[in-house]
Order: sequence, then C-alpha cells, then structure tokens
Amino acid sequence: MTLTWWGGTRLVAGRALAEGFASTSWKVVTGLMLLVGIAAVVIPRLFASGGTTYTLATVGQAPPALVAQLDALSRAGDFTITYDAAADAGAVASAVRDGTADAGIVEVGPATRVYVQRANAGTFPALVSGAVRATATVEALAASGLSPGQVAALQATPAPEQVVVGPVSDEGRAGVGFAVGIVLYIALLLAGTGIATTVATEKSTRISEVLLAVLRPTQLLVGTVLGSGLLVLIQIAAVAVPVGGSLLFASGSAIPTSAAPDIVLAVLWFVLGLALYAFVFAGLASLVDKVSEVGSALMPVNFLLVGSYLIAVTVVAVSPDGWVSVAASMFPPSAPLVMPVRWATGSVPVWQLVLSMGITLATAVVLAKLASGIYRRGVVRTGQRVSLGTALRAR
Amino acid sequence: MLEARDIRHRFDERVVLDGVDVTVQPGVLTGLLGPNGAGKTTLMRLILGVIEPDEGQILFDGEPVGPAERLRWGYMPQERGLYPAMNAGDQLVYFARLHGLTRAEGTRRAHELLEEVGLADRWDDRSDRLSGGMQQRLQLATSLVHDPDVIILDEPFAGLDPVAMAELATTLTDRVAAGRTVVLSSHQLDLVQDLCEAIVMLDRGRTVLSGPVSELRASSGTRQLRITLPGDRGWLAAFPAVTIASDLSEELRLALPVGVDPLEVLDAARRAGEVSDFGLDLPTLSELFLLAAEHDDLGETPRDLDRAVTAT
Repeated sequence: MTLTWWGGTRLVAGRALAEGFASTSWKVVTGLMLLVGIAAVVIPRLFASGGTTYTLATVGQAPPALVAQLDALSRAGDFTITYDAAADAGAVASAVRDGTADAGIVEVGPATRVYVQRANAGTFPALVSGAVRATATVEALAASGLSPGQVAALQATPAPEQVVVGPVSDEGRAGVGFAVGIVLYIALLLAGTGIATTVATEKSTRISEVLLAVLRPTQLLVGTVLGSGLLVLIQIAAVAVPVGGSLLFASGSAIPTSAAPDIVLAVLWFVLGLALYAFVFAGLASLVDKVSEVGSALMPVNFLLVGSYLIAVTVVAVSPDGWVSVAASMFPPSAPLVMPVRWATGSVPVWQLVLSMGITLATAVVLAKLASGIYRRGVVRTGQRVSLGTALRAR
Repeated sequence: MLEARDIRHRFDERVVLDGVDVTVQPGVLTGLLGPNGAGKTTLMRLILGVIEPDEGQILFDGEPVGPAERLRWGYMPQERGLYPAMNAGDQLVYFARLHGLTRAEGTRRAHELLEEVGLADRWDDRSDRLSGGMQQRLQLATSLVHDPDVIILDEPFAGLDPVAMAELATTLTDRVAAGRTVVLSSHQLDLVQDLCEAIVMLDRGRTVLSGPVSELRASSGTRQLRITLPGDRGWLAAFPAVTIASDLSEELRLALPVGVDPLEVLDAARRAGEVSDFGLDLPTLSELFLLAAEHDDLGETPRDLDRAVTAT
C-alpha cells in the first residue's frame, strides 16, 4: 500500500481546503468578496437608471405628435421623459413652480407657451420648444399640400454623424484594470498569509515531522500551496463571476464589455503571481519557531507586494506607458500586479504581455526550487528562529 | 526488529550524534533516554526519515527503510501534533489516509481509536477546544490510527498527570503485547524505569548505556542493602568488600559491590541480632546514568562501559 506523489499532494491540498471551508474567517471574506462583486454590478446600474429623467406637465394628455417627437429626442440624447397630465393651465404652472415638472406646455398650436421655473432653465425647455416647432412644421407642411409620404421622407432626414476627435480612452475599462489591481493584491496577500500560517502551524506543532515521515517536502509544499491557492481562487471567483456574468448575460451593463478579457487575464495573473510568491511565503514561514513570528518573517516579501501594488495603482494608472510602468510590468515581483493594470489601459502590445508572463513564470520556477530548499532545511530546525543564511548554506 | 546502526549526524559544525546504535525488538518496550540535548529527538527524526543521517543506516528486519515501509509506522511528536482548527474525527481520518488507508477504512479506524482513548463523543470538536489531557489522548490516537507495526513516541509522558500516565502505559503495553515494535524517549529517566523493558541511554550524542533494564540495574555494583538492626556492627568484618553508606538510628545502609551476595550479608546480620526490616535498593536509572556519564567523561568508550556493567 503506497501513496503516489499526486495522491499524497492531493491529500495535503484537500485538508487545507477542508480546513478553509470550515473556518469562519474564510466564509466571512468570501461573503464580502461576493458582496463586492454584486455591488460592482448593481450599484453603477442604480445610478444609471436614476440618471436623467425629465417631467413635462401638460393640460390633459400630451398630444401624440409631440410625444413622438420628444421620444425620438430622448432616445438620441439618452434621457427619459415622463408626462404629468394637469387639469388646467394653472395646475401646469404650479407643477413647474413646485419643481414636480421640469417644464410645462399649454395651448398646443400657434399660441403654445412653455412654462419654465426660471429664465435660462436649461436643456429640457429648449428641447421641448424644438419639439413643439417640429410638430408645428410637420403640420404646416401637411397643410400646404405635401402628401403624407413626402412629409415622412422629410422627417427621415438623417441626423449628421458624430465623429469623435478627442483622445480615445476607455475609462470604464481602465477602471476595471484598477479594480483588478486591488483584488489581485488582496488575493496574493490572503493566499500568502494562508500558506505561511499553515507552514508555521505545522512546524510549531511538529505535525510537519509526522507528515515528512510519509511525504516528501515537495508534496507537502505543493499541496499546501494548491489548497491555500484554491481557497483564494474561490474568493476571486466570488468577485469575478457576478461581474463576468453581467457582462455576458445582461445588456446595458455599467462595466464595459471591452473589460471582459481583462477579467479572465486577471485570474491567469493570480495563478502566475501565486506561483511566484507562494513558495517564497512558505520558505520564509518555515524559518520561524512560533506562529506569532510569521508576521516579522514575512516582512520583506510583504514590502515587495505592497510596493508593487502602490506602483500599480499610482504610477501605472497615471502613466501606463512611462518607462517606470514598462519596467515594473517586466520586473517579476511587480509584474503580476502591474501588468494587468497596464493591460487594461489598452495600450500594451501583446508581445510585452507575453514577455512579462514568460519572465514571471521562469522566475517562479527558480524561486520555487530555492524556496523548497529553504523549506526542507528550515522546517526540521526547531527550537529557535532559523536565519535565512543558515537555511541557504546548510546541506 | 528496528535498528539504527552507527548513526552520525551534525548540524552545521555541531556534532549531534556520534556513532549511536539502537536496537528495538518487537514486543519489548524500549526507552530512548538521556538528558535534554542528548540527541534523542534528532535520532528519532533520523529513524523516521524526516532528515537523512550523515552516516549510518536505519534498518527494519535487516532491510533499509524507505517511505513505503514508513507508511506502516506511527509517530507521536513531542508538541501537540494536531491541527488546532480541525475537528478530532477529520484529523484522525486525514492521518489514516496519509498512511495509505482508504477514507472508509480510515473513518472506521478513527471511530475505534476515539473509543479506545475515551473521546468517542468528541468527533466534531475542534482540537484546540479540547482540554489538555484530551488533546494528548487525541494525539496518541492520531499516531495509532493506521495500526502501525512500529510506534515511535517523543517524550510521551511529559506533562501527564498520574492517571493519564497509567492510561498511556496501558495503551502502549497492549501494543507491545501484540508484538508491535515500540520505542519512546524520555528525559525523566526514573519515570519510565518500571515501564521500559530495555533502554538506550544517550549523552551528548553518544550511547552511554544500553540493554535490558532489570539486568542493568541488578548488575550495576551500586546496589544498597538496607537493614534495621540495633547494636554492634562488628559482624561486618566478615565482608571486607562491603562498605557502610550510612548508619543512622539503627538503619544501616550497605553498599554491595559486584560479586557480593546480598542474602549472605542478610544472614550474617540476622545471626548478629534481631533484624526488624530490610530491603535491597537497586540504583535508579538516573543514578546509573550519572555513573555512566562519569565513566564517559574519563574517556572510556561506551563499549567498555557496557562490558563493565554486564560483566557480572
């Protein structure tokens, strides 16, 4: 009866998963992440639907010809119009005065008057006036003997095409990049802390010795990284699934569709970042003697992570193609946090993305080997904190 | 039979084990004894394969030991080797599966073991919510859940109350009686002298004493005969080799060198007067250790000492 390499590794990972699922803190963080994901979808939409709505007060029902004109305008201008049918001209005036209506019209026809709350009341009264004139024009044309078909043809004169000449910037997508930076930072920190705590707990309780009697150090290390990594991946999914789902299945999302590949890429970068950092976290945690020393042992790598995060959300977000941003997106420790943010700005060539991923992966492999050596030597030296030098030099 | 042969190991420049031999027979509860820092834990880690020795071999039934063999071994480390946030039952099933049992077998064995150590109703309790004594029993169950052939325990008696000690002793002697190979370490030498049938005593990385406990104690040459007897001590003249260790208010303590029969001395005492009480005090393991460590300091090799002790 023997245990295969993968069999043993899977047991270790399964245990870490089971412990995570049972822990209150994991449930709370996952719940919060899910709330953040849902909020990212729902809150912008609430603001959008609460966007521009104008109310027009009329005496009795608004005339259909005017409503048709205004509806065409509201579709083109991305606003909504509601109609307030008042009893008489006095009621229209008071509705406008109270502010329950943005404008009011009385006596449709040549004597039409538009009521406004004050002079220069803004866009809507001007739009209403325009619509009233257009309605009157159509009526005048019909009265002058044009056939209904000719009137319709005149009305169908296309509006001039709008040509964007300002800088092309997809602010929504860049915003998603910014959010991805934050989520990746939190995710790497959570995963790293989870791995380090597990390693230090196993070492300080000497469970590691029971395990190492039947498992190889690489099984223990890879299993722990897999288990802790999956726990955090589920938390990332709690954010990403509602956002991605709204992009795929709901129309009119406040998050731009152009950001969908960025979210997929973010998950890939998490895996790369985890590969890079996880073994370093484990190696450093294997040097401590007590779980309480984990914080100080992880200090150097935490600094690296915070520094990379700050670069990503400050320098890179402002100037994604400056030399600092390009360098930081190629430098392995900061690449997993910086590149996704840069990429979301839409100005990064694909070869830079591929190069950055390649460098990160290669560094991860080298660091994993180095860190497993440190782990293998650190985890059996108990009684006091092991120095990094000792763990590197010893056989 | 578990053997560690001529084990040498260094941590950096510090020699931790310097040519240690250990033999553990199945069915003979064996103690690995010595003061703190003697190298006991390192030796156990080497036997378990947690670290590789610089020199020497670990053999089981004459064959070198590898990971496949160690699946049939159980180890209880010195600290509370438990995951604080896991519940008792899942913990046992996990360790069972690590040692090659299926989930179903592991679950069945876990229930049996919790029953045996009196924690049958604690399956769902997190281990850090159990009392200290319960954690110790759970830890023992963890190391026994896969019914190992070889059981290795590092300082199992440290911090146990007398009731828990007796329970642990029963659990271990049951395994020994069933033919398992059991070795435990302790720095409290006298605590285990009535439990262990054989010992290996380490001091500063070297074996200073090894063999069956009863033989080592009886043949040590530091036995004392205690006799309560009033009056003159002139009768002792017949035993020139015997010296008086103490003579206080009628209680006479005599040091008997190797070769003197205690019964002959007692007979002579009874002829001299009325003996109201008597007893033969064998040296404790710590007394034997001090004596052996002293010899070691004088430059005698452990092998020489072995011969001196067993030459009677």
